[in-house]
Amino acid sequence: MAGVLLSRTEKVFIIDGVKDEYRSDGRSTIDYRPMELETNVVSHASGSARLRLANTDILVGIKTEIDVPKPDKPALGKIDFFVDCSANATPEFEGRGGEQLANSISNMMQRAYQSPQAFDLKQLCIFEGKQCWKLYVDILILECGGNLCDAVSLAVKAALFNTKIPFVKAALMDGGNIDLQLSDDPYDSKLLDVGSAPLLVTLCKIGNKCVVDPTAEEEKCSSVSLIVGVTGNRKYYSDDDTEELPAFQPKCSAISMHGPGSITTTTLRNAINQGIIAAVCLDEALGKTVVRERRDIEKFKRHSYGFLK
Amino acid sequence: MTEHVSIRLASERVNHCVSSSNDTPRFYTPGEVISGMQDFMRGHGTYVEEDCLKSSVAGVMQKVNKLICVRPLKSRYVGEIGDVVVGRVLEVQQKRWKVETNSRLDSVLQLSSVNLPGGELRRRSAEDEQMMRKHLKEGDLISAEVQSVFTDGSLSLHTRSLKYGKLAQGVLVKVFPSLIKRRKNHFHNLPCGVSMIIGNNGFIWISPKPQGMMVDGNEDEIINYEMQPVDSTDREIIARLKNCIAALVASKMMLDDTSIMFAFEESLKYEEVKELLDPEAMLDIAFLTQHRLNNIMEE
Amino acid sequence: MEGRPRALLERGLCSAVDAQWLMMMMMMMEGRDCLKSYDEVYSGLFDEKGHRKDGREMKEARAMYARGNFVSQAKGSSYIEMNKTKVVCSVFAPREISHQNEFSTVGQLFCEVKFAPFSCHLQRQPHVPDAEEKALSVALRKALEPTVCCHLFANFQIDIFVYILENDGACLAAAITAAGLALANGAVPMYDIITASSIAIIGDKMFIDPTEREEHLALSSPETKQNHGVITMSRMHGLKQIADFRQIGSLDVDCILKATDILEEECNKIVPKIQMILVRYINNGIIQQKKLAEAAKEREAALKIKMKEWSSSIIKISD
Repeated sequence: MAGVLLSRTEKVFIIDGVKDEYRSDGRSTIDYRPMELETNVVSHASGSARLRLANTDILVGIKTEIDVPKPDKPALGKIDFFVDCSANATPEFEGRGGEQLANSISNMMQRAYQSPQAFDLKQLCIFEGKQCWKLYVDILILECGGNLCDAVSLAVKAALFNTKIPFVKAALMDGGNIDLQLSDDPYDSKLLDVGSAPLLVTLCKIGNKCVVDPTAEEEKCSSVSLIVGVTGNRKYYSDDDTEELPAFQPKCSAISMHGPGSITTTTLRNAINQGIIAAVCLDEALGKTVVRERRDIEKFKRHSYGFLK
Repeated sequence: MTEHVSIRLASERVNHCVSSSNDTPRFYTPGEVISGMQDFMRGHGTYVEEDCLKSSVAGVMQKVNKLICVRPLKSRYVGEIGDVVVGRVLEVQQKRWKVETNSRLDSVLQLSSVNLPGGELRRRSAEDEQMMRKHLKEGDLISAEVQSVFTDGSLSLHTRSLKYGKLAQGVLVKVFPSLIKRRKNHFHNLPCGVSMIIGNNGFIWISPKPQGMMVDGNEDEIINYEMQPVDSTDREIIARLKNCIAALVASKMMLDDTSIMFAFEESLKYEEVKELLDPEAMLDIAFLTQHRLNNIMEE
Repeated sequence: MEGRPRALLERGLCSAVDAQWLMMMMMMMEGRDCLKSYDEVYSGLFDEKGHRKDGREMKEARAMYARGNFVSQAKGSSYIEMNKTKVVCSVFAPREISHQNEFSTVGQLFCEVKFAPFSCHLQRQPHVPDAEEKALSVALRKALEPTVCCHLFANFQIDIFVYILENDGACLAAAITAAGLALANGAVPMYDIITASSIAIIGDKMFIDPTEREEHLALSSPETKQNHGVITMSRMHGLKQIADFRQIGSLDVDCILKATDILEEECNKIVPKIQMILVRYINNGIIQQKKLAEAAKEREAALKIKMKEWSSSIIKISD
């Protein structure tokens, strides 16, 4: 993040390295640093996840609430993103310092989740036109070590995968109002279909090439980055391997540019293609991990770690 | 790690501990009584209250004759005269540069303790003052030696030797200063073909070996030379060294040229440098290095 | 229209939710087509000949009317009209950044986009900027940053205000183009002229310069897995650089790349218009200046003659 100073020669070293597709820690332009994930870490939330990527630490909690659907979209539920940049991450976030960053991330997430091909809000519908679920996705940035967007989108998808929505046992019509009876049993709940939820990939333009997962030093060498939201593949998130799924083609659900610089059309083309390749890799890795975790829990093989250890 | 992305679960986290012996040293916590005051001297990390010497930080006790210090693991650099440091210029001030050296206060490099082009001995003129930013500007990295320590603990540096001065292309790795082993020599030309400066302050500079010094060249030539792209073999070695150091640091092992070189040699079994980012590979390397170091100790 | 439900609410004849519902329903009857099925709305976008409702071809952008010097108090200003989308932009002179501790070596842009309360079907809250306005403001700043020579006014900020009088789609594109024109009009140093264009995609149909209806439909979802979405791109013509690129919806790569090419062309088409307006504005200024200079000369000549007369009369008197 900000506060990193680099000398001119260090910048040259980094830029030349990107040109050679060999970054200063040996990664190529589409390699991510190793990440660590744990879901179900917050007991009061319907779903939660914590993700660590190098020095970036993200905690996502999802709360559910019953709401009235929008009149023009009676059959759809609602999803809301809220990012909190706590001053724990860097002292710059103190007061309203992190507000701009928080807004831009939550905006980007909202846009990426907008298309029904990315996230189907129909599954949140309870009673068409009258009642629906509203998901509050609260994203807490505990530590900020660059590449926030990617980490946030991964953590959100993992948390949504983990989210349990209670079944509705009965509904009573009382005049125009509906009384819902929810199941109290925590095991009597449904999971969301989040396979197609989008992941964001930040492509940092350094020299004439773009890299994913930039370090703070690399971010300093670039004036513009492109954020691409790419829809996920259901295949990686289903427990059942035999289930037949239609052929998958990754689609862009949102694109936006950050930073004061500009790019040429060729760079844009290459960056979008590169972003999609990276997103597919990310999606597969995330899917494998969360499915593995779920299987472990079912077999009681795993116990929770949380913030200790 | 051959694929592009690896996401592991928290339950699969690697424990980086490589210490083979089970005897942990005695730890002190702030406020804990170390000893009576009678025959000891108060050092860093301690204070005196009611005739007792107490610890002010959490860490291990060190005793040199009568001086008692408590050293925390995470501490800022406490400079000593003659230390080699790597620092970054933060600010150009009147007749001096402010340099960040990871110590509690920013260090100072006086214009008078710098070798200026055109001979060792000459007076610093007003022109030199105006040219300061041409010599070193904000963000530049330097290697230097600690000349003296001010009363408030801030350091005064000097670069009055050819081996010190501005650093060109390379990579800076920051580690805890307490992990750096004090040695006679902190400048190393490693057998693998790159050079390394292990600053006492925890800043380690890895750079390609200079191809013959260019002291006499004019300024444009020097700049041109500095901007030459580094070739890919050097780049790979630098990246490998950087990841090896990260592996040793993750396991809290002491750093000097021997341990780093051992780690480098052990890491060669991983063909791709990026494999070394994987926690398991890091632990493996740290473990093997520890093993080799133990063997040497026994001999 | 809205009076009736509100009155019912006040009299306690219906609940607040119902009142909101009624209001919405009435609005729908009026213009929106929320009650129709997706296919009905979709076919409603075209007329019998397969043209768009407003008579345009698919590839045809709306005719643009633009002018500079719209607000006399501002340093630079502009007005752009694309049929029913009407945008005013004004730029104010650089001023020192207030409430800032650190010195910034580059200047900053402060952008604010506001919708007029009567600009859309929905009633907008005046004074409080809503989420859409905030998002548009950020997008506008991002698009303008690469084109303004920010290093020339360190520690200063330029205020750019955009007021959307009427919104009938492609308002961000119009706002960016208008802001670019206003900046140039206000003689703020710029690297290049910036223009923006928008496209809405539904299936294999690409609506260039979409109206609000087309935009709305492109963002809402068909049941099928077809492409849908809106892209807005702003471009610096001479430098051949993309200053900002925003996409929303769900599109595959080929579609995005194809749309990019089309948008590039559309952006380029606007450039000569903007250039012409600027040149005309300067030309007018020069003509004005010449006129003033001539008038001054005439006055001077008249004065000289007078002087001569006077001096001769003085001489006569002294004789």
